[in-house]
Amino acid sequence: MLGVAVATAMIAVGVDVGDKINRELRSYGANIVVYPEDAALDVRIGDQQIKPVSGGAHLKESDLPKIKGIFWGHNILAFAPVLETQTQVDGREVRIVGTYFAKQLHFGTENFVTGAQKLYSWWKMDGSWPKDDSREVLLGSRLAEQSRKHPGDEIKLGVSPARITGIVTTGGAEDNAIIAPLSLAQQIAGEPNAIDEIYVSALTKPEDAFARRDPERMNAADHDRWYCSPYANSIAFQLQETFPGSRAEQIRQAAQNEGAVLSHISGMMLLIALASLIAAALAVSAAMATTILERRREVGLMKSLGATATTIASLFLTEASLLAIIAGLIGFGLGSVIAQRIGRTIFHSGVEITPVLLPIVIFLALLVTIGGSAAAIRRALRLDPVVVLRGDA
Amino acid sequence: MSLRGSMFFHLLRRGLLGRGNRPLIAFIALAVAATMITAMLNLYFGLENKLNRDFRSYGANVTVAAPEGIVLPPATIDKAQQIVPSGSLVVPFAFAIAHASDGSAVVVAGTDFSKLQSLDKWWLVSRWPTATDGAIVGLKAEPLISATNGKFDLNFSGRTLHLIKATKLKTGAEEENRIYVSLPVFEGWTGVRPSLLEISVPGSREQVNAAIRQLHEAFPSMAVRPVRQLLEAQGAVITRMRSVMLASTLLITLTVALCVFSTLTSSVLERRRDFAVMKAIGSSQSTVNGLFAGEALVIALVASFTGYLVGSGLAAWISAANFHTAVAPTMAVLPIVIACSIALALLAALLPLAQLQRIEPAGILKGE
Repeated sequence: MLGVAVATAMIAVGVDVGDKINRELRSYGANIVVYPEDAALDVRIGDQQIKPVSGGAHLKESDLPKIKGIFWGHNILAFAPVLETQTQVDGREVRIVGTYFAKQLHFGTENFVTGAQKLYSWWKMDGSWPKDDSREVLLGSRLAEQSRKHPGDEIKLGVSPARITGIVTTGGAEDNAIIAPLSLAQQIAGEPNAIDEIYVSALTKPEDAFARRDPERMNAADHDRWYCSPYANSIAFQLQETFPGSRAEQIRQAAQNEGAVLSHISGMMLLIALASLIAAALAVSAAMATTILERRREVGLMKSLGATATTIASLFLTEASLLAIIAGLIGFGLGSVIAQRIGRTIFHSGVEITPVLLPIVIFLALLVTIGGSAAAIRRALRLDPVVVLRGDA
Repeated sequence: MSLRGSMFFHLLRRGLLGRGNRPLIAFIALAVAATMITAMLNLYFGLENKLNRDFRSYGANVTVAAPEGIVLPPATIDKAQQIVPSGSLVVPFAFAIAHASDGSAVVVAGTDFSKLQSLDKWWLVSRWPTATDGAIVGLKAEPLISATNGKFDLNFSGRTLHLIKATKLKTGAEEENRIYVSLPVFEGWTGVRPSLLEISVPGSREQVNAAIRQLHEAFPSMAVRPVRQLLEAQGAVITRMRSVMLASTLLITLTVALCVFSTLTSSVLERRRDFAVMKAIGSSQSTVNGLFAGEALVIALVASFTGYLVGSGLAAWISAANFHTAVAPTMAVLPIVIACSIALALLAALLPLAQLQRIEPAGILKGE
């Protein structure tokens, strides 16, 4: 009966692991980007910027909290706005990237914290994160090497002074830039309330054939279904509606490949759960076989008193089913505890146990027990009462 | 010894073959345990490889860049290819800023399409260019080139290149700003050589870091950098999954072992009459123990080989159904499976015997 318990625990964990790994992957960068529709083409090779930055259209910073108000607002795990500008630092043109670090925002009654700290958890930080709306900045590691600056040093961005709180290694273009709070970047660029791009990390459903269809050619019912599914492109579409004059695109590298990793992981967990169910059935079968062997005298007695095969089979099946229901209940409780423990130790967050699983678990326990004991019961029915009662069997 | 010995083996044989399907139950129980142990261990060892391979589909995980304004020495590509482990992809990129016919600037990249195709499998490209003048045009660069019938011209320091748009590129990142052409065409047109290598190194995070160190030593003047976002994500997911798999392996193995243990124990207890008869006609405790242990041992051995075969098949099936390639069964798993099965069977046979030892044979025979 313990086998049933663990098999069901495996299902609980298996269902949840996909979601956990999804969240894990989502802390490694954005999967959707929002930018102004008529943004000028970015002409950049590596870190060399040919076209002057921040020319042209902008999005409004004041619209940002509305992101949480879209249909799939709860699936938005983090986002960070970006405003790029340039300024003179020690006689050189240096890229300034303005963003949120861990900004407190309000939407309706909801308060939430978002920014680079959540979105870019892989950034290697020497020092500490700056505060939003302050004069504290992060220095890219290559820039820090060239200028020989350290955390705690003062730096002059054009005419305004700032303090370096940390040196950051990202492995990307930010290594050659100064990362500043958005408000400071806006001040340097002279463009209050302006942002260039928003990077959004959203929990999405892996892309399937339906998601790849062109939403503009769908009929109304399909369009509604598409709109209400958390695909990367439907969330992007909803973001686009939120910001007037914007375009939102899924970042295909993240969106497409995560789907593969996730479906493989959850697929494997479910197959393992299935395998352990089969193993549980076999173990139940062996246990039932011994029980019935032990009780063959009982069977013989019942038979000689005139019990039909149906009576005996239903007796044993009822017994097994009762046990299975009890085992299923215990298994659900035990499985929840095990799933919680696994969640806490490995992912540092508890596992949500959905009550929907309970009937499934009980049903599976019944199925496994009845399936497993069928062979043993059939054998018990074939016993000859005379032989059994004489003790020759 | 000879008489006692032959009697011992006779009893052992009868115990295994002459009791109908009762040893079969013990065998099935043990084989199930061995199957699950084998399958879980095989999957546990195979999973990391599979996931590492999944992460390779993200594209490059290492970049080698020449310092600003300099190109990579001509031998760099071949040298890099030799340093990185086999199965790695090394894709060169050369960049230049060209002007479209209306004068707007656009970044043109020259690269090796056949390699790029395997590096960035996720690029949404309807068909890769095959003709020498075929170009991949980024979604955002497209409005600038004002192509007529797919044909367009680009200017680089007074020299014009005629290109044909083979396909549009949609990635959601800065690749969309560029136009990609084949490297020989690019070099012939601009005279600019590659300044960036994107490398995809297969294997775990540690193997990638080792390759990065070797590249560093080989090219001290170049910037060799890991794509941290990718490597860190890969590392985190694999560590997590390894723990999840370890936890499930332990959990399943322990449960199956417990179930099997109770089945085996009851099948030994069921034979307490045999045990009592043997004791009553004068056999020593060690002979009886030896007999029961011998039976358990034979069943465990046969069960563990069967379980190993079935379990390897199960693991291969799970992996084939999920990752579309089977895990190769690991021989290293076999000794673990045999050891576990034997330990389980012996424990299950000898613990109840130790209990029975304290009871007088007469008591058992009388039916108490």
